[in-house]
Amino acid sequence: MKIVKKVQAGTLQSSDLMVFLAPAEALCVTIESTVQKQFGELIRAKVDEVLAQHGIEAGEVRITDRGALDYAIEARLETAIRRGTEV
Amino acid sequence: MVTSLLSTDDLRQARALVEESGLRFEPTFDDLVGVFEAGRLVAVGARQGRVLKMLTVAATHQGGTLLDEVATELVGRGFQEGIDSFFVFTSPTLVPTFEALNFSLLASSGKTALLEYGDGLSRYLSRYRRQVVQGDNGAIVANCNPFTLGHRYLVEQAASALDRLYLFVVREERSLFPFDARLRMVQEGTVDLANVTVLETSWYAISSVTFPTYFLKNGDPGGALQMELDLLLFGTRIAPYFNVTTRFVGSEPLCRTTADYNAAMHRILPPLGIEVREIERKTAIGAAISASRVRELLSRGELEGIAELVPVTTLDFILSSEGIKIWDKGVSR
Repeated sequence: MKIVKKVQAGTLQSSDLMVFLAPAEALCVTIESTVQKQFGELIRAKVDEVLAQHGIEAGEVRITDRGALDYAIEARLETAIRRGTEV
Repeated sequence: MVTSLLSTDDLRQARALVEESGLRFEPTFDDLVGVFEAGRLVAVGARQGRVLKMLTVAATHQGGTLLDEVATELVGRGFQEGIDSFFVFTSPTLVPTFEALNFSLLASSGKTALLEYGDGLSRYLSRYRRQVVQGDNGAIVANCNPFTLGHRYLVEQAASALDRLYLFVVREERSLFPFDARLRMVQEGTVDLANVTVLETSWYAISSVTFPTYFLKNGDPGGALQMELDLLLFGTRIAPYFNVTTRFVGSEPLCRTTADYNAAMHRILPPLGIEVREIERKTAIGAAISASRVRELLSRGELEGIAELVPVTTLDFILSSEGIKIWDKGVSR
């Protein structure tokens, strides 16, 4: 599946994250996090897992995270994906 | 809940809250939002284009999530308008607060700090990683609206003095000639100069974010502060990345804003280890060559004089069907 429009989900609040999706030729993921040093790899793994679950092959994914737990990452990203792949 | 501030009373409360915190209330914005508690405004923030400003939380309500909520609302609304990168002007004391919201500091001067949401600057710089060369390099930041023989002269002088010249073309679309056309005129007009690299400024130099008054031309005193941030950002982040040790600029006899900018350059860049070299403008038919002179001739349809002011590559573009469409509307700037 591809991201077909620019969408956003989430907030800038603590323990949450903001997800921005936009159409792109290839899959490009950038993650910024206030806990990058401690959990950067785990966040990345979770994001990749959710993208794979939804079969996202192309799109620009930008995430700014403020220490969200796995469940929050999953929920926000899924919301954004549903919005971004809706025709 | 964050709501739009629309009524006269909303605005009055917003102004009071903003001024109470030591910021200036600026009446121009695309969105003004706030949070009320028992009829009293306790948090406020505004968005103008990609710039978030006047973000304030009442002293009695700090330490909570109000600032996060206001910033979320403004970013969300901006995103709806098609904007995907955001900046904030704030007091230097609030830098850590915004850093906790994933903003990163671009430049800070005494009273004001400029931060951006996300790390756009790093992404912008890394896009040019392959164009970075060692040595003593120079830089010019120019709008080139359009590219004239004056620009060409400045570029030649600068390129012959140093190892490599980076020519940053202003990205902002606030000029008669659109960015794509300006970039093309610059590329074609400098293609024979082997040590010149043409780049674009993105939002990070002479943009509506870093230097909005450049596009207004009225010497607004509020612009002085932002001019400083624009130059600090250049001197501390952009120049070091490209090993730039000298910034070149044409002398400015005509435009007040540009003359002020040049003066600020002499004040701010040398302490950061960047020499500023002001090159006397090339003249033609008795006056300094400037892009505004070209635009003035175009607006009057006087094409004869233009050949003396622009290189043949620019002239070709101006006379192409694409070029004619741009200037043949009687629009200036």
